[in-house]
Amino acid sequence: MAEVQVQEKGAKGGKVRSKKQSTRVDMTPMVDLGFLLITFFMFTTTFSKPNVMDLGLPAKPDPNAPKPPPTEIDLSNSVTLLLGKNNRVFWHQQDQAGLNDQTLIETTLDREGIREIIKQAKTRAKKKELFTVIIKPTDDAVYKNFVDILDEMAITQSERYGVTDLKPYEKAIYDKKVGNSGAPAPATK
Amino acid sequence: MARVKPKRHGVITDMTAMCDVAFLLLTFFILTTQFKKPDVEQIKPPSSISEKLLPDASLMTINATPDGKFYFQPVDNARERSELLDKMGEKYGIAFDNNQKVAFQRVQAIGVPMNQLKSYLALPEDEQKNFKSPTGIPMDSVNRQLVDWVQQSLSVNPDYKLAIKGDVTTEYPKVKSLFEGLRDIKFLNFWLITSQEGKPNE
Repeated sequence: MAEVQVQEKGAKGGKVRSKKQSTRVDMTPMVDLGFLLITFFMFTTTFSKPNVMDLGLPAKPDPNAPKPPPTEIDLSNSVTLLLGKNNRVFWHQQDQAGLNDQTLIETTLDREGIREIIKQAKTRAKKKELFTVIIKPTDDAVYKNFVDILDEMAITQSERYGVTDLKPYEKAIYDKKVGNSGAPAPATK
Repeated sequence: MARVKPKRHGVITDMTAMCDVAFLLLTFFILTTQFKKPDVEQIKPPSSISEKLLPDASLMTINATPDGKFYFQPVDNARERSELLDKMGEKYGIAFDNNQKVAFQRVQAIGVPMNQLKSYLALPEDEQKNFKSPTGIPMDSVNRQLVDWVQQSLSVNPDYKLAIKGDVTTEYPKVKSLFEGLRDIKFLNFWLITSQEGKPNE
């Protein structure tokens, strides 16, 4: 109660007066209820809005347009990430000739794993402004992996990244890796 | 001998003003709240560090369920919805009567192929809410109704924005086919709905 009644003592033997009842209404419970409801409505309004992330897709190349000349890509300027099944992720920095079981390395989707790889690859890149991350989700990947990896792009501030399909030779080695390893492969750094 | 006692006051707070403010705010929040309509199927979006909130725009939403079905949620605008239905009907050679148009204006999300849309709209509203489509809206290389929905919506009003809400376990090939379809109609910028996750400290 916000109101503490203090009894007046004294005036012994005075005249007995009819006690005046105060007209004050105790509003504490009403205010309590009011604020409870306010809290409820405030939380429901702010949290009903979901978060979003932007995604821009590249335009499809015009089939009639002449093909651009093949550009020379320095392998150190890019890193390729393969999103596999059961949230596994592999990476490599090789072309067709250099890619084999040893150079396709498995890592983990967390700070120690993939984020470190991207950072290291970035520091190794010869032209940092051209450093590109190529994301290749396999057919075994789930939507979550895709969103996670886009998150990593935001965290590592890799602005140049692309999402594309696996090349057949990558697919072959990926299949071999996933098919072979029943036990989870040791995490590599 | 009367001792001199300090006069004690009752501790009284006048709560009228506070009460006024509280209820003013309460009224405001009650009036501005929009309750989320229940989803047809449970979808748990993946978490992300993105802190951007879904903007207030004319928004169409594509829901991708865990088993790879697509639901399309057109913009909440009765007039534009009926225009959209006309256009889709025209494209697929189906004529809708007024009752079906009214039902379409009230519908939450569509998850049926065009040839079943008529019978779906004829269902009573309660059954519509509980109707779980066995197929969803078809989206593959030959039958691209989902992309058609988006395209026709955009032809009604090119300012529409698209949000995609996928489940954590939705398979990527399904999402890819949707992305490819959207690239085909040159609709390249949209949002992915995610749930909040703490920003990692670097």
